[in-house]
Amino acid sequence: MPGKMKIEIENNSHLLKEVSNGLISMLKGKNVSEEVIFDVHVGFEEALRNAMIHGNGSNPGKKVKIETEITDEWVVIIVEDEGNGFDLASLPDPTVGENLLKESGRGVYLIKHLMDEVRYEKNGRRVVMKKHFSKL
Amino acid sequence: MQICMEDKDGIVVCRLRSDVDINSSPDVRNYFERLTRDKKEKILIDFKDVDYVDSSGLATFVEIFKNMRTYGGKLKLMNLSNKVRGLFEITKLDKLFEIAAQEADALSSF
Repeated sequence: MPGKMKIEIENNSHLLKEVSNGLISMLKGKNVSEEVIFDVHVGFEEALRNAMIHGNGSNPGKKVKIETEITDEWVVIIVEDEGNGFDLASLPDPTVGENLLKESGRGVYLIKHLMDEVRYEKNGRRVVMKKHFSKL
Repeated sequence: MQICMEDKDGIVVCRLRSDVDINSSPDVRNYFERLTRDKKEKILIDFKDVDYVDSSGLATFVEIFKNMRTYGGKLKLMNLSNKVRGLFEITKLDKLFEIAAQEADALSSF
């Protein structure tokens, strides 16, 4: 199993699941706890979903770049879209007041809370996430 | 997405048979839209077979809640795994929904 992977996929939700399932299978083969796998699963798919829907505007002609690196201690996932980026600070807190009833805006929030380290680059077009397999 | 429905003394119990994610959410949304269009007053959603929910799934349940609220309907959720329940807690949606641990508790508390 390669420790590093770098691919580019079309803007397609079925491919999203395929790539996500591939990463989860690799983690299951590494004796990683179910809780950590679940967090990575959600974090990775939310990043892909954000890239495809919000970043690439659901445009089937656009692509999403994905890089992963897995060691015995952690996984790093990088997801990059072809959109215009976004201002992280402008996103409303989905857990406050009437935002609780909104039907969008939870993806970035979930990533922040489920992954150990999250960094947005290229004006928000690229997210770098890290999850440790043991509690820090 | 397969959903099994049964009526228990006026409470519509809907048992989700798989995960609620970006691919299955539209089906789940359509299914419950039909129920809320018929103004079903009491709906209980069973998560026993649900291992994974993403933000589109969470949004779907918020939409069902909002639709039911317009006519005074009552929505409850039950049998959430610890991991799925954790997502409701992180996003504070556990404050919005009534979440029961067991079916008997859910049915008796409507």
